[in-house]
Amino acid sequence: MTIRILDPTVSAEESAGIAVAKRVADLDGKVLGLLHNGKVNGDHLLQQVREQLEARYRLGGLVVIRKSSASRVAEEAILDHLAQKCDVVVTAIGD
Amino acid sequence: MTLTAVEHEVTGWAEAVEAYFERGWTDGLPVVPATADAVQAFLEAAGREPGDVVLREATRRRSVTAEKVAINAVMAGCRADYMPVLLAALEAMADPAFTLHGAITSTGGSATLVVVNGPIRQRLGFNAGGNVFGPGWRANATIGRAIRLITLNCLGAQPGLLDRSTQGHPGKYTYCIAELEEESPWEPLHVARGLPRDSSAVTVYAAEGPHNVLSHYGETAEAIVVAIADTMACLGSFSPGESFVVLAPEHVQILARDGWTRTRLREALYASARRTVADLKRGGKLAGAVAPGDDARWVHRGQGPDDIHLVVAGGGAGGHSAFIPSWSRERNSLAVTREIRA
Repeated sequence: MTIRILDPTVSAEESAGIAVAKRVADLDGKVLGLLHNGKVNGDHLLQQVREQLEARYRLGGLVVIRKSSASRVAEEAILDHLAQKCDVVVTAIGD
Repeated sequence: MTLTAVEHEVTGWAEAVEAYFERGWTDGLPVVPATADAVQAFLEAAGREPGDVVLREATRRRSVTAEKVAINAVMAGCRADYMPVLLAALEAMADPAFTLHGAITSTGGSATLVVVNGPIRQRLGFNAGGNVFGPGWRANATIGRAIRLITLNCLGAQPGLLDRSTQGHPGKYTYCIAELEEESPWEPLHVARGLPRDSSAVTVYAAEGPHNVLSHYGETAEAIVVAIADTMACLGSFSPGESFVVLAPEHVQILARDGWTRTRLREALYASARRTVADLKRGGKLAGAVAPGDDARWVHRGQGPDDIHLVVAGGGAGGHSAFIPSWSRERNSLAVTREIRA
């Protein structure tokens, strides 16, 4: 007896219309954004990243933001702010 | 009615069951093979089109259609007439207040507790009595299981991939109860949450497992409150999050006999379910060393009496209630109630 079973899974939708930002060649003079997810130690991880990058490049500025909740996505206002002020953004999860 | 899910041909029922295991589409237990005929019957019973979007999860960009819900419901062993309960529960989980992505993936390892209220309990045969969290009742078992299968198959929360639960708990297989409204001297959960008494409703809650509150010998409301509040104040689950307290009929009858109202009980539990800052530091719940004065500074569980949700359920004999802590440590995920449209 042949049985046809139906696929119960759902795949992620394509992120249509969202283009990847242009890559930067190096970080000299660039504004670095650091987005901390709010969990314990995420800030330490980002601090390490910052120190490593500052040792290698002459950064043009720094923006540090902490999400209000690790469980929720960053608010639009935070993302807009980072997009306007920063050339590159690093985000980290700590726990 | 045209279904769009990809079909896979297998040569027999037993092989179909194995095919689900091979493809990683089960919770570790055998499922009922979902054929087009069965899925169409479920959609017809629910009055839904296959392409209706029931739930959209933005973080992982997943849209769950009624067709996918029906497929997973068949697999879980549901009856077709359970569909409205399942759809209401999923709509509740999609409420931003629930924070679905965090709740189903966090190391905290929560499961979605589904509490059913209203006349649909009798119509579909939910258990609200003895062994309410345990096995033996198809509606409770399979609706809770369908929620888990959808979480696994449709929301990407596979263990070790997106579901990073450190331990999880057995409620992740199935976690669905009904309230024993007939044994409650007070208004049931859905009425307390603003719905009409004669409506049917689900409440979803990202929850830890139930903690037993045994209180046999006090036989007074005060003794029961002491035992429940002490359990709510346990350090391991202590947080400013919400609480569910599932009261055994025996306990709620003593509370009512002694003149306690719902409001008074919630206020008393909030007042008593507390720890000192010193305790929280000693137990690693707060960072830092114990400082002078920390032994006299108190922190309550939750943010107020309204954070304590009361439900009556369980067998007629036995002084066993349950405290169910939230997965959410603060306000990141809150219980959500939705009416069942059946």
